[in-house]
Amino acid sequence: MAAAADFCRLNLVSSSNTPNRLLNAANFTRPGSLGLNEVELQFHRKNYLSTSELGLHQKRRRGLRVCCQAAGAGVQPKTAPSDTDLEFAARVGKDRLLKVPSSNIRNFCIIAHIDHGKSTLADKLLQMTGTVESREMKAQFLDNMDLERERGITIKLQAARMRFMYNNEAYCLNLIDTPGHVDFSYEVSRSLAACEGALLVVDASQGVEAQTLANVYLALENDLEIIPVLNKIDLPGAEPERVSREIEEVVGLDCSNAIYCSAKEGIGINEILSAIVQKIPPPQDTAERPLRALIFDSYYDAYRGVIVYFRVIDGTIRKGDRIMFMASKKDYYADEVGVLSPNQLQVDQLYAGEVGYLSASIRSVADARVGDTITHYSRKAEESLSGYKEATPMVFCGLFPVDADQFNELRDALEKLQLNDAALKVHIPFQEEFLSQKPQVPWDLALDVGFLVFFIWKFQERLEREYNLSLITTAPSVVYRVNCVNGDTVECSNPSLLPEPGSRRSIEEPFVKIEMLTPKDYIGALMELAQDRRGEFKEIKFITEIRASIIYELPLAEMVGDFFDQLKSRSKGYASMEYSFIGLPSLIVIWARNLNCFLIDTNLEYCTKGSELTLGAFVFSKLCIHIVSGDGRACIGSKVIASEAISAIRKDVLAKCYGGDITRKKKLLRKQAEGKKRMKAIGRVDVPQEAFMAVLKLEKEVL
Amino acid sequence: MLLKSTFVPLFTAIPARGHPGKLSVSSVRNAVAQRCPPTSRQNGSSNTTSLLLLHKLPPTSAYIHLPFCRKRCHYCDFPIIALGSSSSNPGDDKDDPRILNYLETLCREIKATKLDSSNRPPLETVFFGGGTPSLVPPRLVSSVLDALSYKFGVCSNAEISMEMDPGTFGEGKLKELMNLGVNRVSLGVQAFQEELLKACGRAHGVREVYEAVKIVKSCGVENWSMDLISSLPHQNLSIWEQSLQLTIQAQPTHVSVYDLQVEQETKFGVLYSPGEFPLPSENQSAEFYRVASRMLRDAGYDHYEISSYCKSGYRCKHNSIYWKNKPFYAFGLGSASYVDGVRFSRPRRLKEYMDYVQNLENGLTNCSEDDIFDAKDLAMDVIMLSLRTADGLDLKSFKEAFGDSHILSICEVYRPHVESGHVICLDGQGRTIAVNEFLSSFSNEFWRNEKLAYLRLSDPDGFLLSNELISLAFSAMAP
Repeated sequence: MAAAADFCRLNLVSSSNTPNRLLNAANFTRPGSLGLNEVELQFHRKNYLSTSELGLHQKRRRGLRVCCQAAGAGVQPKTAPSDTDLEFAARVGKDRLLKVPSSNIRNFCIIAHIDHGKSTLADKLLQMTGTVESREMKAQFLDNMDLERERGITIKLQAARMRFMYNNEAYCLNLIDTPGHVDFSYEVSRSLAACEGALLVVDASQGVEAQTLANVYLALENDLEIIPVLNKIDLPGAEPERVSREIEEVVGLDCSNAIYCSAKEGIGINEILSAIVQKIPPPQDTAERPLRALIFDSYYDAYRGVIVYFRVIDGTIRKGDRIMFMASKKDYYADEVGVLSPNQLQVDQLYAGEVGYLSASIRSVADARVGDTITHYSRKAEESLSGYKEATPMVFCGLFPVDADQFNELRDALEKLQLNDAALKVHIPFQEEFLSQKPQVPWDLALDVGFLVFFIWKFQERLEREYNLSLITTAPSVVYRVNCVNGDTVECSNPSLLPEPGSRRSIEEPFVKIEMLTPKDYIGALMELAQDRRGEFKEIKFITEIRASIIYELPLAEMVGDFFDQLKSRSKGYASMEYSFIGLPSLIVIWARNLNCFLIDTNLEYCTKGSELTLGAFVFSKLCIHIVSGDGRACIGSKVIASEAISAIRKDVLAKCYGGDITRKKKLLRKQAEGKKRMKAIGRVDVPQEAFMAVLKLEKEVL
Repeated sequence: MLLKSTFVPLFTAIPARGHPGKLSVSSVRNAVAQRCPPTSRQNGSSNTTSLLLLHKLPPTSAYIHLPFCRKRCHYCDFPIIALGSSSSNPGDDKDDPRILNYLETLCREIKATKLDSSNRPPLETVFFGGGTPSLVPPRLVSSVLDALSYKFGVCSNAEISMEMDPGTFGEGKLKELMNLGVNRVSLGVQAFQEELLKACGRAHGVREVYEAVKIVKSCGVENWSMDLISSLPHQNLSIWEQSLQLTIQAQPTHVSVYDLQVEQETKFGVLYSPGEFPLPSENQSAEFYRVASRMLRDAGYDHYEISSYCKSGYRCKHNSIYWKNKPFYAFGLGSASYVDGVRFSRPRRLKEYMDYVQNLENGLTNCSEDDIFDAKDLAMDVIMLSLRTADGLDLKSFKEAFGDSHILSICEVYRPHVESGHVICLDGQGRTIAVNEFLSSFSNEFWRNEKLAYLRLSDPDGFLLSNELISLAFSAMAP
């Protein structure tokens, strides 16, 4: 009934404006009717269309067969909405702060793979509902950070409240954006928990990706109504019917009503909006219960403290309320309550079902973590909402300022970032009095920073960009668990924390399970990659004739760094992956032979049989240990290792000094020496920053 | 130690066969210069002249750039002039006007060079580099040699090298060149595989390589070098070993092995990224280097400089001038000279070069404008150049010129690399000093003075990291 409903709305458009708009409305509906089933066609014929026009439609229908036959009764709009529609929408959009009954609220999110057009679709939804006027439209509105917009990927999620007229009734639609990256499955799960429905957006020219799949399963677990949307149907390579079949086969979702759209061209947006109203259930009306609101995002604002984004599950929240975060047990006064549309707009209260933000001069993101429940201080809810998890950084790396004098700046910056981002954990191992003196040993300045798996570059870049620091990052390492002879277990992210050799019994290493989805041509290359990284093969299955899912278990240490890049490059960008921790218990136990450096040792053992690439990567981590651990060469072991290490990193021969022309070479060497001088600030570093960078594969050009 | 000019006698044999034609004329002109007891001054310069003054001596070497090539090789970013296929047939009597004009300008540059009249030692080495110098007709090469003889004089036993590409010369041409005095040939073979030569955009194939070797041998060129490039696209270890094997079989007295540098402005720079397929990975390239070092040394070659190998006594005298930071003239498009302590690069474009020569003749060019002497700069040159060689850095003369404090700081930064075996310490007799002795004693000034005589990079691992290690020494120089 999607198209029919749409028609009514457009009818409203025409009636509320001049009569000649009817033509517009009809024009708009006509393509929409192409894919309608018989009942709907009759509905149209009876009301608006002559029989001859229907005949015309049928002719056109044949012409558009490719497009239409796929989903059978899917909605196939062809044209973009006209300006008048937008004008009307803009008027409606101006009223978006008005309250609607909770039965007219729809909370939904978009599940999509990177580049499948989620942000573009979100932009179009905002535009079509008049939430954002065309002139203030920046591309990809939902991506708030500059960094994200530059890279075209979404890291942090945002929300948007929209107003949509449907059957003469005003609806309030809340779009909650989900992060599109494989690292954020917890955040995604919280966003999903704040919704009743989800749009599953799949690129009609590509198909279902691993990460989409994982998020769809999450959505299904959360009992969300899922509306499949095939995006980018305007591309020449679009194969909506194949992709529909793939969704049906892989996800098990009925795609007979899948919406074909092109967010870029604005095709199918109204159909999507209508489907949201029709299919997604409204939230429960529980405004009378004690307040429970689910935090699905928070960020740090330099002026107002932490801004919390939440969905009210039960009860009502008003400006000025004394609120409490149930997990962190912190209480604050809500100075400001509002909705996101997509800018923050203040309101007086929000009741069950609504989505909004609050600011309460909260000092640290850790006080209001994603997944936490907000309740009233005076009228506490009995139980917090389920699903809250503490963030546990899995990957660690050392950060050094290139210039030792910048150490305090770095520390301050990291502390600020830590307030800003709950996923970041900084271990600052120094006392104030120590810092008040000039540190004697430069490598003491290493800060241990914990991250989610793939986002090290993000932090480094933010630090360099926002705080103007130049940094040296060691290769990332993971947390190892050391079982001691006396029965204790010690978690180490850094070899310098390693217990004495005599007291160690064994060392365990964290593992992850990865699922890679790939076109069948790259199966070999990806299996080779996983094997190279000490992966243990688990399963391979063909999800369609041409796409396969490969499941491996491999050490987390192997996955940090360039695994994702390798996956992408070996599959020419076609493969995608999803990982989950299988935790420490199922670990392989590795015995450390060399007393000083377990990482070196365990890795070396592997290196001897591993590929060249892996060897290179491990060699780096060895050198990093060399720096991080601080006791210099004692840690690096024998000479042989050191020599191996350097030559694997760079073959560094002076080129032919042609005809005695040494000036160019000398310039180069001086530059290299310049880099060294900076390195001296951090102590005995034998390998320049490029080397670390190479592991991280951050950038090709350095220095 | 092979440092000193001990191989002179080996070369005297060649010119002694007699030079008919032009050189004999010029040798008469030089007679005075040659009869001046050369040994005291020349030997003196390498033995006792302070590094601080070395570059002030009048040069005894000249580099001549002959930029003509049939076409540009895909890796090449030198200043060259591509002639096209027209001049590919050797023995063509008609001189290409481009060559003719260029050589005329070149000779004018030589003539216009200002000289310190009081001290005018004859040239001991001349190096014709390119480009493809063997494309230049011998008659014109002769005019250059004449100009040099006239201007500076050329020793009768001078080393006169020429770079020659396979397929650009026949027996007749080489004989002619030898008669002019060319006594060392540097054969630009680069690879022994048809597909690799093609991939490099070389103008010759494998057949021409073998022919060229045959010609060089049949003409009796005693001292000749084979030049190879490692890390070419699609090169793998077995291909590389094959090239080395064939090189050894050809029995050159000298082998140069250059690791491919992918320069940005070249076709390779557009097509490839270093270390990425189809170029060998860094580790593979490093392995190629090690293999070359091992195979050539096993075959009796001395690895005397990072990219040079030779049979005993066949070091390239001209290149050794560079490594010793001695002064040298240079003439021609884009060439770099080192005279009076000033390094000067000529314009790389023909038009600008022509203008430069014009100005030089009119006395308008002043090469030594930024002649601000900087000892640290000089010390860096000395380090950079001497560490390329197997002889290494002569600490005694270095200390005399620049002071002991630099040596101490270099020892300090090299300490871990001495331990790891990348840097080797030698005593005055060229014997390796044990690592432990170095570690325990290097901070002792007396020990440094008495025992520690040379620092060198180890072969091959130290050489492989030369950039790293040299820049490390640089950073020790300028804290």
